[in-house]
Amino acid sequence: MVNYATAAVDQASVMRGLVSKTRVPLGSEIYNRLLETLYDEAAALDERRFDDWIALLATDLIYTAPVRVTRSGANKDRDVMRTMMHFDDNYESILMRTGRLSKSAWAEDPPSRTRRFVTNVRVAECEAAGEYEVSSYLYVERSRFDVAHNETTSAERRDIWRHVDGSYKLARREIIVDQSTLGMSNFAIFL
Amino acid sequence: MLQKATFTLSDGSTLDDLIKRDSNEVSLRVMNDEELYKLEMERIFAKTWLLLGHETEIPKAGDFVVRDMGEDQVIVTRDRNNEIHVNLNVCPHRGMKVCTAEAGNAQAHRCIYHGWAFRPDGSFIGAPVEKEKMHGNLLSKEQLGLKKARVQLYGGLIFATWNIDGPSLDDFLGDIKFYLDQLFCRTDSGLEMLGPPQRFVLPCNWKIPGEQSGSDGFHTLTLHRSLMEGGIMGGTPESIYDNAPGMYGVDVSDKHGHSLRCLEAAQTFKMFADVSFEGKSVEERLNLLPPPGITKELIPQLFKNLSKEQVEQLATIPPQVGGIFPNILLAFIFAPRTDGGSSGALALHTYVPRGPDKVEFINFIFAEKDAPEQVKRDMLQNAIQQTGTSGIIEQDDADTWPQIMRNSRGTVSKTITLKYQALHGHERPENWYGEGLLYPGFTKDDTQWNWWLAYYDLMAQA
Repeated sequence: MVNYATAAVDQASVMRGLVSKTRVPLGSEIYNRLLETLYDEAAALDERRFDDWIALLATDLIYTAPVRVTRSGANKDRDVMRTMMHFDDNYESILMRTGRLSKSAWAEDPPSRTRRFVTNVRVAECEAAGEYEVSSYLYVERSRFDVAHNETTSAERRDIWRHVDGSYKLARREIIVDQSTLGMSNFAIFL
Repeated sequence: MLQKATFTLSDGSTLDDLIKRDSNEVSLRVMNDEELYKLEMERIFAKTWLLLGHETEIPKAGDFVVRDMGEDQVIVTRDRNNEIHVNLNVCPHRGMKVCTAEAGNAQAHRCIYHGWAFRPDGSFIGAPVEKEKMHGNLLSKEQLGLKKARVQLYGGLIFATWNIDGPSLDDFLGDIKFYLDQLFCRTDSGLEMLGPPQRFVLPCNWKIPGEQSGSDGFHTLTLHRSLMEGGIMGGTPESIYDNAPGMYGVDVSDKHGHSLRCLEAAQTFKMFADVSFEGKSVEERLNLLPPPGITKELIPQLFKNLSKEQVEQLATIPPQVGGIFPNILLAFIFAPRTDGGSSGALALHTYVPRGPDKVEFINFIFAEKDAPEQVKRDMLQNAIQQTGTSGIIEQDDADTWPQIMRNSRGTVSKTITLKYQALHGHERPENWYGEGLLYPGFTKDDTQWNWWLAYYDLMAQA
């Protein structure tokens, strides 16, 4: 368990990318299906089909986005702070957020026009049968109102997808954003 | 008798043209004005007390975080004597940042450009190649330390100012301290920050979130309507304006522009609607419904650390949201959870100017240090889901403020005024212990107008 009792940056960790050594090769059936699922997910979010997105989520979902901190010297790579997050959600709170988006959520009404670009997908087998680690890069272009320049964000996503009844469900997602100070005005969109 | 403003902008406008004290209006143009911004940096941000962080961020000797006082970057450090220092992050040699990280631990900060080095207290250690005396022979080492700000702590919060001989932090907080103590100085071990702050930049002038922090309660009903629709606050979507949850309480403020909204839980939140304090003692009230962030185990500590009057208020009508002038918002709120719990969310923001058209929103999240680990975990999650980057409340603010600034650029639009004309007037409620300017009943514009009067006072002094 993460020690939530301190704000001191010694709690920062390096971990990113894949943990499992059992790779699922690019071009294999499982890899292709997972890649297709990531593309479907991006389309559902870009098209604001939140019910379709929720259908891709496992009910034991953990969805987080730790903050990044600029470090130097011996600790320069220990820059992912899991004691503080931009998202700290589970299945119920995601339902609360999507429910809100269907009512008076002015942050997305009028809605943003978004493009989620998903690349650099790497897949490995987890210890639990039917579960896969999926690491991907995410780049989001977000257009608000009639403002002529987009807000953008880039991140690595460390996911666990679970094979359930012929399709894949998202069980865990950690979004590792690249900015320590976000240039996006809010995260009223999902990453 | 109105005092005379002491500056004139290049188009001939004076402070009295911008802040119309006879009609309680503020010209919209103040929300994006390069000239005014420069004056604000000199007269407000280089003069008044500013919040930089919390001592629990830098628990060990040598720990540091880098923060900003207006556009002046500073290093906040803890030295070997456990003393906290705030030093300008500018090398007195050639102006480079002495510290390029946001946080860490260092017994010496060595500038990467020519190697001048400084201790955590800001004093100069020396330049490389000591025998060549590369710091010159005009100034002594004692004269070559980093420029130091004046530092004072309150409830673990680190405040600093460049106004070395100005009012103390106690004087600055004034009458509002009675209420702030109920949030920041109520337990034996005090608050702790649960992690480093969330940081993000909004395309808006700092005064737009600044004036809202002067306790704008009224916007909640409309901008944050989703709280009522989601069933968190009292009432139903159909009757939001009839029930007006969270609107009735006691707003408090003072001449320095600080303010707080004191609210009864039963009036605000659906899940507490049936909680009645009628005929109950202070202890019974606290046990029935502990104030946000306080657990039952911590209740005895309240009596130890606060006065009888302060505990009674905290038990009955706790301060929940408000602001400290010029750029601090605090939200110590009840936070009903989807799992039925309600351990509260304690968040503090600073809105740091980044030019006339940008502001950095920094979100500090707290819990009581002595609270159980699971409560801290829940409170972190509550605060992240309600406030800051992805918070369902503040998402809507972050999207609204930039549009106000955009309007402030129009030739015609900028002549429009912001109106603070729904006033209650100071009135002391019955059985009220604290001092300050008091506004019982429906939340009105008084506290925000006091924020602008405090702004006026500082801007009128060269």
